[in-house]
Amino acid sequence: MNIHEYQAKKVLAQYGINVPKGGIAYTPAEAKRVAQKISARGPWMLKAQIQAGARANGYFSGKKGGKGGIRQITQIANIPNEASQMLNKTLITSQTGPHGRLVSKVYVEEFADVKHLFYAGMIIDSSAPAITLLISDDIIENIIQFADMGKGKFLRIPLHYDKGISDEKIYEILNFLSLDKSYLQSFHDFFGKVLFTFINLDATMIEINPVGITPEKKLLAIDAKINFDDNALFRHPDIVKMHDDYEEDERTLRAKRYGFQYNEFNGNIGCIINGEGLALAAMDTIKSHGGGLACSLNIKGGVDKEKIANGIKLIMTNPRIEGVFINILGGFMRCNMIAEGIISASQDVGLSVPMVVRFEGTNKEEAIAILQQSNLPVIFAENTDEAAEKLIAQMEVND
Amino acid sequence: MSVLANKNTRILVQGITGTQASFHVRRALAGGTQIVAGTSPKRGGEEYFGLPVFNNLREAKKQIEFDSCVQFVPAMGVKAAMREAVEAEVELVVSIAQGVPVHDMLEIKSMLKGSKTMMIGPNTPGIITPEEASLGIFPENIVSKGCIGIISRASTLSYEAVLETQEFGQSTVIGLGDDMIIGSDYREIMQRFMADEATKALVIIGKADNSYEQAAAEYYASLENKKPVVAFVAGIALPYGHTMGYAHDIITHGRVTVTDKKNIMRESGMIVVDNINDIHKALADLHL
Repeated sequence: MNIHEYQAKKVLAQYGINVPKGGIAYTPAEAKRVAQKISARGPWMLKAQIQAGARANGYFSGKKGGKGGIRQITQIANIPNEASQMLNKTLITSQTGPHGRLVSKVYVEEFADVKHLFYAGMIIDSSAPAITLLISDDIIENIIQFADMGKGKFLRIPLHYDKGISDEKIYEILNFLSLDKSYLQSFHDFFGKVLFTFINLDATMIEINPVGITPEKKLLAIDAKINFDDNALFRHPDIVKMHDDYEEDERTLRAKRYGFQYNEFNGNIGCIINGEGLALAAMDTIKSHGGGLACSLNIKGGVDKEKIANGIKLIMTNPRIEGVFINILGGFMRCNMIAEGIISASQDVGLSVPMVVRFEGTNKEEAIAILQQSNLPVIFAENTDEAAEKLIAQMEVND
Repeated sequence: MSVLANKNTRILVQGITGTQASFHVRRALAGGTQIVAGTSPKRGGEEYFGLPVFNNLREAKKQIEFDSCVQFVPAMGVKAAMREAVEAEVELVVSIAQGVPVHDMLEIKSMLKGSKTMMIGPNTPGIITPEEASLGIFPENIVSKGCIGIISRASTLSYEAVLETQEFGQSTVIGLGDDMIIGSDYREIMQRFMADEATKALVIIGKADNSYEQAAAEYYASLENKKPVVAFVAGIALPYGHTMGYAHDIITHGRVTVTDKKNIMRESGMIVVDNINDIHKALADLHL
């Protein structure tokens, strides 16, 4: 689960990490009031709240090349106007995709007087496995950039789960950033608190991009992003309350409500499977036959007939769908329940595109018989490869 | 012969009184798996399927001999169940639960270090040695005794691998688990298959995320006498960095695509197929 910058800063502040003073605003007038409350004099920072990075270099819909979603404003009188250029507008950044995200709130912050800025990210390295701190002096727009950065360009520090951060490791950071020993205490304090937050809240990523160093040698989180482990949310009811439904598309949300996982891609085939591995294999096999997925629904663990039918409808009503690929390996999941779900969904929303079904395992024969009796134009296949081949051939016929 | 589990393996089921556990314990017992006892908090002293039930492993250990555990405990209980198993020095633990918090796995991995316990899973269908032992939820009716060892990091694709190897049968099928952090990786299991007389060839099913396949290839390349390995890696069509689990590893260790993974595996001497339904043919070409 992700949260907004303003929420992440609130969380960090609760753990004793320094953040600039700020407040959230939903209207231009409110933005001005918040600014006046924070500080009598400018400049102020105005930051569009969407759960995607690279906001400063983004642009608002219809204004390509225009100002981005993070702005520095010196005159209080300009705040309402600048805020109105963001609120209820769509912000497009390198991380939002071409459709961008609607900005429903802005965060108004005091301008932080800092002299040195650097990148800090904390993630989990599964191969060690260990919580790992990443430090860089370069500008990082997306954490994925580290994948292509050469050794020596950034610092990677594995942290012991139960031992915290030693002085040696802090010296390593200071050395990398060309800072002297006088920063030891504030770095130790800052990263100790970040690690404590990370562990205590079951985070999978905390990104502070950038960290600023004040003239008093204090560290300040200028920006903040936190991802939490969905599997551990049962331990954190306060974090769950921060979830912003508007950040997820409707189909993903509805699939979640049924207990299923929905994903979107760029192709035109809708795919229903029960298991992540099957989803990957379906995607690969379809690609090898020249096709691509529009969306996939993973109904792993589904046992409720109505939920299954509703899930299938999510796929069948996606406007980009030109074919449906269903691959079920019945174990716990009984194939006949999927067959019944297909029939029920088809009765509600119709079946106007080719559909290929491959069943294997529990109640396979019964499932095939049910679908045959329904007279739906379903095509059957014996394995994944055959299913992909038949579907793409039929989609070409329909063209 | 087999790997990790056979007819002599004495198994205790943690969380034996749950619905899932009941279903699979009944099936495993019918198939001849030697399940000797179970645990369930506050249910100690009861009997289940004619088996003694204990409150915890410590109490069980005083009264009964067992060397392996299967856990049918909910995800949030896996950490505590693993702590019990490590303290009771159980040799092998198979953890079925889906959705174990990743921080719990970090703690579990540090518990396992230097312990006598080997963990398989979580989020795995488990281990099955046809006609001998089933530790988990693998359906007995699709496996048959034979010469192919299967190791998979994608639960549902391990069933596909079984279907692809029907002509040869399986020595043992092992699901490592689908999660980002798993109890045991390929290397430890490959080593055992290499030493197993019944196994003539191995099938490995890998995935796009994490770096477990690279480590397996490195290990395989270092072997002198090796059995053939047919490998498939799922996720070549997955948009790059689609899941965070994937991103974490490339962030920390550099960019490795599925194509890179396959190349690394090929260079190590493995036979890498591009389509999961090509596994059968690749095995047939080996003339085992």
